[in-house]
Parts: sequence; structure tokens; C-alpha cells
Amino acid sequence: MIRTIVGLIIVLALSAIVISSISDYSVPSQLLGAGRFYTERGVDDTGSVNLVTAVVVAYRGLDTLGEVVVLFCASTAVVLILTLIPIGANPTPPSSIVAFTAGVLPGAIVLFGIYIITHGHLSPGGGFPGGAVVASAFLLVMLGSNTIPGKSKFLASIESLAGLTFGLLGFWGMLTLGQFLNNLVLPAGSPGRILSAGIIPIISLAIGAKVASELSGIFASYRKAGGEE
Amino acid sequence: MTAETMFYWSLAVTALGLVLIGIWGVLTKKNILRIALAFTLADTGVNLILVWSGFLPGRSAPIVDSSVTSMVDPLPQALVLTSIVIGVAVAALFVVVGVLAARKSGSADVRRMKELRW
Repeated sequence: MIRTIVGLIIVLALSAIVISSISDYSVPSQLLGAGRFYTERGVDDTGSVNLVTAVVVAYRGLDTLGEVVVLFCASTAVVLILTLIPIGANPTPPSSIVAFTAGVLPGAIVLFGIYIITHGHLSPGGGFPGGAVVASAFLLVMLGSNTIPGKSKFLASIESLAGLTFGLLGFWGMLTLGQFLNNLVLPAGSPGRILSAGIIPIISLAIGAKVASELSGIFASYRKAGGEE
Repeated sequence: MTAETMFYWSLAVTALGLVLIGIWGVLTKKNILRIALAFTLADTGVNLILVWSGFLPGRSAPIVDSSVTSMVDPLPQALVLTSIVIGVAVAALFVVVGVLAARKSGSADVRRMKELRW
């Protein structure tokens, strides 16, 4: 009871602070600063029609490399911690709906994920959402089967290969153009075509493969630790 | 107030509401998995606030096209892409640590987890 009251008081105080701070906020009518720079120069600089991808992969590519490292650390930590939990003997058997869907849908889901990954510089999408979609197909297959997934060398090697590709592309830009992860070591091409925007499509593929394999690894270790004791 | 400004401010209210619900859940719930859920809600709210801050009414998505004349700010959306991935990583770790703590103490109730008390 006292917990609820204190929680409510804190939440109300927080909302009062926020509301008072944005009460004199006026809706901006035009872009300023970095946003304006990116919208005016983005296509000419990177060749990517999707400016969000241009910012994520080209302008701030180093941050994205760091982000991939964070995801890698998290998935490693999940696997490490879950080795402390005994493996569940029997995974919960799937219902007939899940089992049937797991036999029908994964191919289409993987195809859709690859579409999102490869069109990252043309339409909303890119490596991270596409990789998550591909990993969801893996999750569906896993939920539809009765067995506990074993160790997968295939997943681990895909993950390492993708990370290596990302890093090597960065060093390629450093060697030829003097900038780590410079986008234009490959020609920018004509914006709007699928083979354009320099190294953005390749980096999208690498990120997609890495995210898909890491999320699949997390799901697999969850599945291993789950089930009835 | 036009429909567009109403939409604009309703986005802000939704985002703020999500953050507040999340904070309230973290403060008052006792099951550690519910705390993880509330945490994820607050995370989503913060992402929505960031996207909202770069959103200008009446403008289109930041994808250059011959028919597009003005677009919203792409920078907050790129930031939120990063933030979502970090959020997933934190949530995955949160759940695992929560499950481990629940197995050790025999209950998912945070009041029974005495190891971290001082």
C-alpha cells in the first residue's frame, strides 16, 4: 500500500516537472543544425536515398560498429549466465497451431527479412530490423520443435564472419581514402538503385547476418535453460 | 487546433505516459519479470519521445524521392535505431539475471531476494 502511494507521488511529481518544462515548447517549423545538414547533403554525400540509413551506416558508422559490439557483449553474457542454470529436461511441447505454422511460415519470413536487409538504403529497414525478422523465423522453428537446440558452429562462424567484414570494410576506407568506414570506397552509383550507395548494402548484409545470428543464439540459450525442471 | 497539431501533441502525451507507466511499474511491482516488462515500457516511451522531438507536422519520412519536398529530421530516428538495439540487449540480460535470481531464491518476488540487501 505504502509502496503504491510513494510510487504514485514520484510519478506525479515527475510528470509535473516534465509538463512544466515543455509547456512553453513551440512546434519547430524548419530543420536546424545536423538534421538540416543531413537532409540537404545526405544523398550527394552517400548515395543512399534513405537518410536514416545514411546517418546510421555512413555518417555515424563508427557508432554502429560500437552498437554491434554492445549486442555481441549482451549475447555473450546471456549465454555465459545461462550456463549457470541447469538445462531443462523437457522443453514444453508446442501446440498444434505453433507446430503447423512453424512448418509453413519460416521460409516466407526469412525471405521478407532478406528483403528488408537488402533494401535498407532504399526504403525503411536495414540490417538491424531485417536481422531481427530473420531471427524471428529461427525462433518460430525452435518453438515448433520438441528438441533442445545444440551448439551451432554454423551460427558462430556466420557471426564472426559478419563482424570481420564490418571491420575490414572500415579499414579498407582507412587505407584508400584515409577515413575509417568511408562510404565511398565503392562508387555511390545512381541513388535509388539497389546497387548504389557505396558500401552501405554490404554493411547492411553484415549487420543483418550478425544480428540474426546473435538473436538466434540468445533464443537458443533461453530455450535450453527453459522447460520443466 | 487542427488535426495535425492534435496528432503531434497526442504523440508526446503517449510517449510521456509510457515512460511514467514504466517508472511506476519499476517502483511498485514485486515480480522481477514484471519489473523487466515495465522497464521495457519506459524504454519504448523514451524512444518515442526521441522520435517525436525530430518530427515536424506535415512533413514526410526522411526518404528522398522526386515527390518529396520537405522531410522530418533523420538524426533522432537514427539515434532511436541504436537505442532500440541497446534496449533489446539490456532487456535480454535483465530477463536472464532475473531468472537466475528467481531460481536461486526460489521465488520471483524481489522482496525475497536477500543477497543484494544491505
